[in-house]
Amino acid sequence: MAIEIDEGNLKQGLLGLVITLVEIIQDALRHQAVRRMEGGSLTEAEMERLGEALIELDSAVAQIKEEMGLVETVKNIRGGLDGVVNELIDDFINPQKLFAAADRERLN
Amino acid sequence: MNNHNEHKHGRYVYCVAESVETINLGAIGLDGNEVYSVLADGLCAVVHDCSAEAYASEDEQTLHRWVINHQDVVKAASERFGTVLPMRFDTIVQDTEKGSVNDNIRRWLTEDGGSLRSRLDRIRGKEEYGVQISWDPKRIAETVSSTDPEIKQVEEEIRGKSKGLSYMYRLRQDKLLKSAMEKEAEDRFKDFYHRIEGCVDEIKVERTKTGEERPMLANLSCLVLREQSAYLAKELEKINSMSGFFVRFTGPWPPYSFVGVE
Repeated sequence: MAIEIDEGNLKQGLLGLVITLVEIIQDALRHQAVRRMEGGSLTEAEMERLGEALIELDSAVAQIKEEMGLVETVKNIRGGLDGVVNELIDDFINPQKLFAAADRERLN
Repeated sequence: MNNHNEHKHGRYVYCVAESVETINLGAIGLDGNEVYSVLADGLCAVVHDCSAEAYASEDEQTLHRWVINHQDVVKAASERFGTVLPMRFDTIVQDTEKGSVNDNIRRWLTEDGGSLRSRLDRIRGKEEYGVQISWDPKRIAETVSSTDPEIKQVEEEIRGKSKGLSYMYRLRQDKLLKSAMEKEAEDRFKDFYHRIEGCVDEIKVERTKTGEERPMLANLSCLVLREQSAYLAKELEKINSMSGFFVRFTGPWPPYSFVGVE
């Protein structure tokens, strides 16, 4: 799996990668928070604290991205990752490419 | 029979048709090659002479030109023969120990004659159309949010809640909306599929392309009797006029998606 990082700006690329990972962890946190909430295991006060913590995290990450000029970089890395995942899934459910190659072989 | 450059060891095959005469379509092939037919047992392969190597190029423009050229030859052949079985770009038959390249083509036409004829029958008098349906998720999400009872209930609950709590309720609402949208996409796909199925001979579901301006809901290849394309166009018109849905209708194409062995 190749993730494109601008060689001319290694620091920016590395930071972008780190922030992207932080965002993915954030997604997992939000997901888990909703599950706890739906499961009914949180009191109102706990939900309130959890919500505020997540808001703080959101704005901290947004601020870092803004200050370091990473908004575009992170967007591109995430887009690239999505592309890799989509291709993998496509190959799993759509093995037609292999049939096409076999078809051509048969002719010769 | 013909003695076209038997020294060249490959034949680039454009299509197969039913025919009892050898023909020459002139220098309309890839890179201006002469296109003619090799005949056997009432079938013919429309070919040009080439080396045994595949047509490959790093240059996208060259590739594009070849593919368009391939399509033009298939079109010219179908004007001549009526129904033709188009071959994939870069279908090349070669010399083998079993025989010369023309012998191999004739053997293929004879031995696979039954399958080739039934594949020709399948597409006789029919054309292929591409149907791509995409949607505007923002607009659909608005509709879904205003009708889904669970989402509306969470909206009620959010009112008057503190900052932290309403953030949590928003997360829950986003999750509900996401699964409602997935269900909506599935329902719409089924609905559109059945409506289109009623107007066409065969449908093939292709993979949807990602990274387009609007997310694609359905990518279908449709095999349609020539005189029935108007019904399909009319049904697609109805889908296109639905709020938030967009139809891209292309064709007619030679029925490339319906010439494979089932």
